[in-house]
Amino acid sequence: MSALRPLDKLPGLNTATILLVGTEDALLQQLADSMLKADCTSELKVHLARSLPLPCSVNRPRIDLIVFVVNLHSKLSLQSVEESLCHLDAAFFLGKVAFLATGAGRDSHCSIHRNTVVKLAHTYRSPLLFCDLEIEDFRAAMAQRLVRLLQICAGHVPGVSALNLLSLMRGSENPSLEDL
Amino acid sequence: METQSEEQAVTKPADSGGEGGPPQVAGAQAARPEDRMTLLLRLRAQTKQQLLEYKSMVDANEEKTPEQIMQEKQIEAKIEELENEVEEAKTAFEMKKLALDSVLMDNMKQILNLNKLIMKSQQETWDLEEKLLDVRKKRLQLKQASERKLLEIQTEKNKQKDDLDSMENSDKIKAIQQNLETEIQITTVIQHVFQNLILGSKVNWAEDPALKETVLQLEKNLTMI
Repeated sequence: MSALRPLDKLPGLNTATILLVGTEDALLQQLADSMLKADCTSELKVHLARSLPLPCSVNRPRIDLIVFVVNLHSKLSLQSVEESLCHLDAAFFLGKVAFLATGAGRDSHCSIHRNTVVKLAHTYRSPLLFCDLEIEDFRAAMAQRLVRLLQICAGHVPGVSALNLLSLMRGSENPSLEDL
Repeated sequence: METQSEEQAVTKPADSGGEGGPPQVAGAQAARPEDRMTLLLRLRAQTKQQLLEYKSMVDANEEKTPEQIMQEKQIEAKIEELENEVEEAKTAFEMKKLALDSVLMDNMKQILNLNKLIMKSQQETWDLEEKLLDVRKKRLQLKQASERKLLEIQTEKNKQKDDLDSMENSDKIKAIQQNLETEIQITTVIQHVFQNLILGSKVNWAEDPALKETVLQLEKNLTMI
């Protein structure tokens, strides 16, 4: 049960692997299906997991991007994500980790405040994406976005690296974040 | 306590050539080596980028991290410093890119100007050629007109000659010619008669000038007139 390291394995040719971590299995499966349907020139591999650490017995390729899916309706998902974050090598947070918060549309069901996830993302210096995974169109759009993100993190886009993208995305973030 | 984490993997095969769509039919066999080329080029770009990433990670790992345990605030201050450095490096890069772009822009503008000049000169050449063509056409027309005129003159001449010939061959002329000949013959006979009269009379016609003149006149050969 060792920590995941970002660059310990050699990349597969024309292959990009994404790991979706979250407690909501149905949502993850749906998101995985949307991602596989999206237009992409590289081979996509989607791995789903409830929490880290991952069992070592499985022979898996090098993971290029990890997306933590937090459901704003359940505190359990946030807790599980926070626990999983400890098992991650620090080198991953240089652009290969992203947070995805779902369920913000239905404000009455939200048990986690929006700012909590914002703070979490800020602590780990990673981008935070909001999406209602239950709605088909939003999910498809987010899947497309994740595919592009994955391509850059896997090094398939010449001229842009994961770190580059991180600083680019950070530049457009709300400057009021610094007050938190 | 660690929960047993499940893991599922789902994969999707790649579309060779990069276009999402139905697989190619036999008719597209000629396109496959090109697809392989594009695939190879794409793989090359990817491998380059990945190599760059690995290299930068190796370089980053060679840097020494501070051994002492610093306070959190100091760490944050250091982080901010480093971030500022990164921002400065980025802005310098952007400025360089802008400068290069402006040079590129100048080149493109020059190219555009030259293209305009070329087009103008080509247009002028075209106009001059058209004028040349017009002049040549006119010359041809004039030649043809002069040819026609000469032909007309020739036909006129021929007609005149024919008229003349026909005239000569007409019967009237023949009749007149006949008459003339008979008259000449008669006159010649009369001439001979008078000659013989005068000679037969054995008169010395050399002495009398009037007689001399008559005899000489009688010698005239009328067919020669």
